[in-house]
Amino acid sequence: MPNPDALHKKIQEEVSLLADSINDIVKKFRELNNPIDESKEQVPIATEQLDKISEQTEAATQRMLDKVEKIVEREEEGIAGLKRIKDYAAKNHWDEIAPLVDSLIEKADTTCADALSIMDALQFQDITAQQMNHAAALMEDIETKLKRISGVLQGDMSQIVSQEEEEAKKDRAYDPHADLFDKKTDQSAIDDMFAGKQ
Amino acid sequence: MPQTIMVVDDSTTVVKFVSFSLKNSGFLVVSACDGMDAIEKISTMSENVDLVITDLNMPNLDGYGLILALRENEKHSRTPIIILSSEDREDDRIRGMEVGASSYLVKPFKSSLLLNEVSKYLTKEEVTT
Repeated sequence: MPNPDALHKKIQEEVSLLADSINDIVKKFRELNNPIDESKEQVPIATEQLDKISEQTEAATQRMLDKVEKIVEREEEGIAGLKRIKDYAAKNHWDEIAPLVDSLIEKADTTCADALSIMDALQFQDITAQQMNHAAALMEDIETKLKRISGVLQGDMSQIVSQEEEEAKKDRAYDPHADLFDKKTDQSAIDDMFAGKQ
Repeated sequence: MPQTIMVVDDSTTVVKFVSFSLKNSGFLVVSACDGMDAIEKISTMSENVDLVITDLNMPNLDGYGLILALRENEKHSRTPIIILSSEDREDDRIRGMEVGASSYLVKPFKSSLLLNEVSKYLTKEEVTT
């Protein structure tokens, strides 16, 4: 017959161990809750960035295509103009040539300005690269959190991402607010601000 | 003799675009891919750098770090520095001003705007838009 006191003590110890285990599990679930909440917030931000990339890439490409179309049209007019100059020269109609040359110079200047504006529009690559880096960083962060959750649930510590691994992933240089069209401040206001300090 | 401008940006597209606009206006352009690279190049260059144009978000050493480092160097304590960034928030401009930047341009920008900003610090005769 077991000693009732010893049995009572043994039961107390077992219950205490069980309580500790439950506390531990509850604590781990509480820890898991934050990464899930954070991930839920990050997915829409990443999606928004990807939508922005698609929208802004399309708009910038459209702008460039419009300019290229105009350049091609102007080039065709230029070729036609040169042919007319050749004809006028052959017929000794020199008075007709000067205004035609002036108009061709004007067209060439406009084409040059259009080429510069295409270069301006090409900045979309830098902006969308930053937006993509931001989206990628958010995705990597979600991946890290999911790995951590998986590690805790499976008791597999190797699934938990190391601090070094986590820091290495953060080594991306980008501006999370990069936007092709949404400029909030006028340059003259910025200039005034900087002039004020001098 | 043409004046020398250093362009610091981790985006090769921006470096190419800015360099094209500046070279087209008669400036000599030296480029660097981040703040650290810029400091290394500036310290080994024989010619003087008359103006620096820098991005803010860059690996290794960002734009703020670069400006601070240049301002601590006697030779570049007064060199005009233009920040070129897609950060369009007042906090960033204030910080840029505090570390010693001369001016701030928000990306994307028109090349004419960049040249106008440059002409405030370098002789206007050199700039022909």
